[in-house]
Amino acid sequence: MANLTLRAVRKSYGTMPVLHGIDLDIAEGEFVAFVGPSGCGKSTLLRCIAGLEDISSGELRIGDIVMNHVAPAERGIAMVFQSYALYPHMTVFENMAFGLRIAGRPKAEITARVHAAAEKLQLVPYLDRPPRALSGGQRQRVAIGRAIVRDPQVFLFDEPLSNLDAALRAATRVEIARLKKSMPGTTMIYVTHDQVEAMTLADRIVVLRGGHIEQVGRPIELYRNPANLFVAGFIGSPAMNVLPARVEHAGERSVFRLADEALLHLPLQMSESEVGRAVYLGIRPEDLRLAAEADEPLLQGRILLIEHLGEVQILHVDVGAAKETPLLVKVPGTTQLDENMTVVLAADPDSVRLFDAEGIAMRTLRAESVGC
Amino acid sequence: MTGGHRFWPSVTKAMLWAFLCAMGLLVIYPLFWMGLGGFKSNSQIFSDPFALPESWSFANYLTAWQATQGYMVSSLLVTLISTLTTVTISAWTAFGLTRTEIPGKPLVVGIVLGGMMLSPTVALVPLVRMLQDYGIYDTHAALILLYTAFRVPFTTFLIRAYMLDLPRDLDEAAMMDGASPGQIFRKVILPLCQPILISCVVLHILFAWNEYLFAMIFTNSPGVQTLPVGLTSMMSKQGTNFAAVFAAMTISALPIVIIFFLTQRYFIRGLTQGIGK
Repeated sequence: MANLTLRAVRKSYGTMPVLHGIDLDIAEGEFVAFVGPSGCGKSTLLRCIAGLEDISSGELRIGDIVMNHVAPAERGIAMVFQSYALYPHMTVFENMAFGLRIAGRPKAEITARVHAAAEKLQLVPYLDRPPRALSGGQRQRVAIGRAIVRDPQVFLFDEPLSNLDAALRAATRVEIARLKKSMPGTTMIYVTHDQVEAMTLADRIVVLRGGHIEQVGRPIELYRNPANLFVAGFIGSPAMNVLPARVEHAGERSVFRLADEALLHLPLQMSESEVGRAVYLGIRPEDLRLAAEADEPLLQGRILLIEHLGEVQILHVDVGAAKETPLLVKVPGTTQLDENMTVVLAADPDSVRLFDAEGIAMRTLRAESVGC
Repeated sequence: MTGGHRFWPSVTKAMLWAFLCAMGLLVIYPLFWMGLGGFKSNSQIFSDPFALPESWSFANYLTAWQATQGYMVSSLLVTLISTLTTVTISAWTAFGLTRTEIPGKPLVVGIVLGGMMLSPTVALVPLVRMLQDYGIYDTHAALILLYTAFRVPFTTFLIRAYMLDLPRDLDEAAMMDGASPGQIFRKVILPLCQPILISCVVLHILFAWNEYLFAMIFTNSPGVQTLPVGLTSMMSKQGTNFAAVFAAMTISALPIVIIFFLTQRYFIRGLTQGIGK
């Protein structure tokens, strides 16, 4: 059994708390990604699971065994480091065999296991080479191979692709996905600040901020229903547009007043007591579109900048005082637009998210028309 | 304009070469002169000090070799054993100081490295008493012990600086692979420290081979005395036979020169990688 259970896990360095009571359950065979900005504690949490850092308080279980004071090598865990951490004075074979040799495994078994892992990762031609004679991608594969030969219950990846260039990163990402498929019973935990890696690889994503878990869920769940403004801003690229507003009128179709006094009629029932309440409206750039004749217009603004990404283009639209930063709109790359052009925007009401003044998600709007 | 651009860099380069050649000559010539002196007769050294030898005779070198053989063995013994003990102890100490959690670590580092400030001259009298109490006065063990004790702080300082630059990920990867601290030290860290270890070995050999003060104070018997003391006693015995003295000095300097030339590449790499970053 390689399910992980973390209960009220805290970690402090001296008087500086880094993790503030993490509660998390990871099922056997699950691929979980820890994401968050720099300093959020994701790597520290991973190192606590690995046993490279002591847990200040709380409990970590792997299977049914409490692992708080168990040595890293005895946890049934293997880790792939950001820097690869290959032993420079050893060949690829020796690097991969190191753990097995330390464990005193028979020579024949070591050779067989290293060769099996090397074949899986297409490393057989490089077994006699030192790490310095390999490319970045090959080194990363050796680091993964070194972990595989130990046949771990839990695989830990600490930002394994961050040292690779964009093309190699995409290729290695696919290899990791393939590796996961070939090891369905192995639990994998993957730390990254790259949400694309997290979205494409993980069964579930854990979003961390300041040593707290902000939200845990399936990638699409986090994308569609972020628990708060932080998750809404962190998951998705470009980030979700956030419009500060105030409840102007409560009813079947509530009215929201934006900062520039524009009124938005949204199909959301709110109570009379909520009139005057400050809220935030969140709309993803890809959920906004240039209003067609049949559409109810939502907002109007002037294009400040167009980012051409080929398949799509990102419009930076100034919608007046409604928002300090421009509204981002993702439209097809073929649409003919120019900077300084005035555009009218529309959105599917289903896609508009509502957050309270503290940034906590309130409710999803009903699928009805949105009008101004 | 183009000619001027080519002219001044060439002149600067030529001047630099001339300066370096002059410096090289300044260092090498006395050694060369000493080596040549060993081939001359005593009278030629005084009559024609800068000329080449009249006849290339190895007689002086043979006399010198016979006179210094015993000292040479002592020097070899003391140098080899103290090099081994110093570098081994220093490497372990440096590993402990860089890779383990010790309460009050800065203080421990300060105490260990503070040993570099201890003057050997100040410690002479208590050391004589101590070595007599231990019953190792006038033995090779006395010199091995003192050379080790006085060189461990400096050697630790060099190895520690090098180890601080080695990535911690390697230790952690080895730890995840199940290696004990001892295995991490022997199988991962020590092989990676090879350049600085070679530098430390060369520096210690230079020190132990040429050390005079301790060797003179703590040894009396000719069978225990090392080469520097042996050379002085030879000079007092054969004070007028400068040719034999020059030959003996050349013989004593030769091993160090050979070792330095053989290891010079690693020696410089070790020192620059450790402290330069």
